[in-house]
Amino acid sequence: MSALDDKVAQFLEGVPRNRREILTPEGILLPVDLADHGERAVALIIDLFIWMCVTALLYVAIVAVLVEGKGVEIAVTLILFIAFIVRNLYFVYFELAWQGATPGKRINGLRVIDRRGGPLTPSAVFARNLTREVELFLPVSVMLSLRAGANHWETLALLAWLGLFSALPLFNHDRMRSGDFIAGTIVIAIPKRVLLADLVENSIRYNFTTQQLAAYGAFELQILEELLRRPRSARTTAVLMEVCAKICAKIGWTAPVPAAEVVPFLIEFYSAERAFLERERLYGRLREDKNSRPD
Amino acid sequence: MTAPSTQDDAVMQGAGAARPALVLRSTEFRRGREQGWRDLEVLLAKAERAGLSALSTEELQRLPLLHRSALSALSVARAIALDRHLLLYLENLGLRAFLVVYGPRQGMLEGCRDFFVRGFPAAVRGAGFHILIAFLSIVVGTAAGFVLTRGDESWLTAMVPADLASGRGINSTREQLLREEIFAPWPGFTRSFITFANFLFRHNTLIGIMMFGLGIAAGVPTLLLLTYQGLIFGAFIALHFNRGLLVDFLGWVSIHGVTEFGAIILCGAGGLVIAQHILFPDRYARVDSLAIHGRSAAQFAVGAIFMFFIAGLIEGGLRQLVADTAGRFAIAALTAAVWLGYFVFAGRGARQ
Repeated sequence: MSALDDKVAQFLEGVPRNRREILTPEGILLPVDLADHGERAVALIIDLFIWMCVTALLYVAIVAVLVEGKGVEIAVTLILFIAFIVRNLYFVYFELAWQGATPGKRINGLRVIDRRGGPLTPSAVFARNLTREVELFLPVSVMLSLRAGANHWETLALLAWLGLFSALPLFNHDRMRSGDFIAGTIVIAIPKRVLLADLVENSIRYNFTTQQLAAYGAFELQILEELLRRPRSARTTAVLMEVCAKICAKIGWTAPVPAAEVVPFLIEFYSAERAFLERERLYGRLREDKNSRPD
Repeated sequence: MTAPSTQDDAVMQGAGAARPALVLRSTEFRRGREQGWRDLEVLLAKAERAGLSALSTEELQRLPLLHRSALSALSVARAIALDRHLLLYLENLGLRAFLVVYGPRQGMLEGCRDFFVRGFPAAVRGAGFHILIAFLSIVVGTAAGFVLTRGDESWLTAMVPADLASGRGINSTREQLLREEIFAPWPGFTRSFITFANFLFRHNTLIGIMMFGLGIAAGVPTLLLLTYQGLIFGAFIALHFNRGLLVDFLGWVSIHGVTEFGAIILCGAGGLVIAQHILFPDRYARVDSLAIHGRSAAQFAVGAIFMFFIAGLIEGGLRQLVADTAGRFAIAALTAAVWLGYFVFAGRGARQ
């Protein structure tokens, strides 16, 4: 089923999806979509922005205390300490409290999960976030020291070396950071899906023969479903009319289908085709697509 | 019966007049279960927005039941339905339910307690070999630093960055070191316990995290950093040795050094555990080997950060309070005994 699903998605979107499967403790394979590099970068930028806002607020607090003029040293130190804690615990706290999502990840619909489908443990969350210091903050601080230092070559070499770690997600199959490697986690995208009404209609105005229904397979059926579910516009209507003409030609439907009847006709055809294919499937005769040979 | 005549008949007959209505098993199946899915969706939305604690007892009892029935519906749908939208929806619902049901069980506080009582000492006990290597590389560094600096003190300037030396250097005299460093006057509670301790904590933690994180580079940087910490230490020992202050300096260092070096060694050992499982993955794929052992290695680093915190407090404050070498050695011995006892005995026999 999953292979068919991938095929349909690739046909509709033009690009192969990056899907992985996790096995839940109930023994069900669930497909998950890996998060894109772009989505993750945006999530990180949002998180960093929040962190920087918090830190900036703390610095404003410092200035306020400095103007007051008492207990300056304690205030400064406490604020530096809190900023340090915020930076190191921000990600850990949210990934534990929000089931694998930081504010940035949540906005982008991303989640951290265990790569094998087990529970996400606190030690995994700590592990994947501890390396952030090496991947992110260390290169940044090296970069900032560039203009001050006299020996640029040394710094550049260090930067290139550190950059390799930061760029690790670009070089592996599962887009894992080094922290993901250590913790055995991956970052996935979870789109929000709502359950729409079934397309099948019980009214039968058109009558298709078994021979006509046998012209297509599950792949074509699902493409047709996807097209019928698209919001109606001039473009989709044109596509549907084209599809309707092709189907009529293929199954030898000679009666004309008027323009206003195209969508009802296709829905009827979809219902009949699905009923036919599902029944065939129960007998162990699933046709993958129109090119597969009937048994 | 030829196709065109059938069509004409059907069109003329109008809505489902003569033929029975189309009944799809998948549609019937969906109709029977849909309400359960919608209920689950409501619970999930609530839990995702405000956490599991937002659910009432009754809802919490229903959640796993609904989760399992959604998963079983997915299995059935995969076998009988060709409705792509339904399958995608059920997969999405199952995944969301999976994340809520199998998400992190513990909050920050519970996790911390479990960690200190059981996880941390158990992880340390499981990595004796790596700790030994980390310890040896510090010892080697210290010996090298001592030998080099003892003969030629300019090595000290070469090895120690200026902000760590804080004024101590080849030009320091015995009296200066005694007055300003080893038996410096008590600078007041705020300065010592908060300002200085905090600086030390942040500095040490950064080094520790780097040692751990750089374990992914096959552990070479971890070993270099460990040896380098030893070099700095050895250089300072030589500086004081040349001025006849060896015992006083060791007392000055050991009061917090036991804790601090312990933490450094643990961070280094964590990095080495990671390096080992990258280089020698045993029967597993490298990625899997790393995933299995990386978490326990991360426990090292987290525990070590806590140790750095304590070391910072001792170094920043307590050391200046106890201005007497014998007393400092006594405290050092006490901390050593406490840590040793903690790592050897804590959490043994606790539930796994």
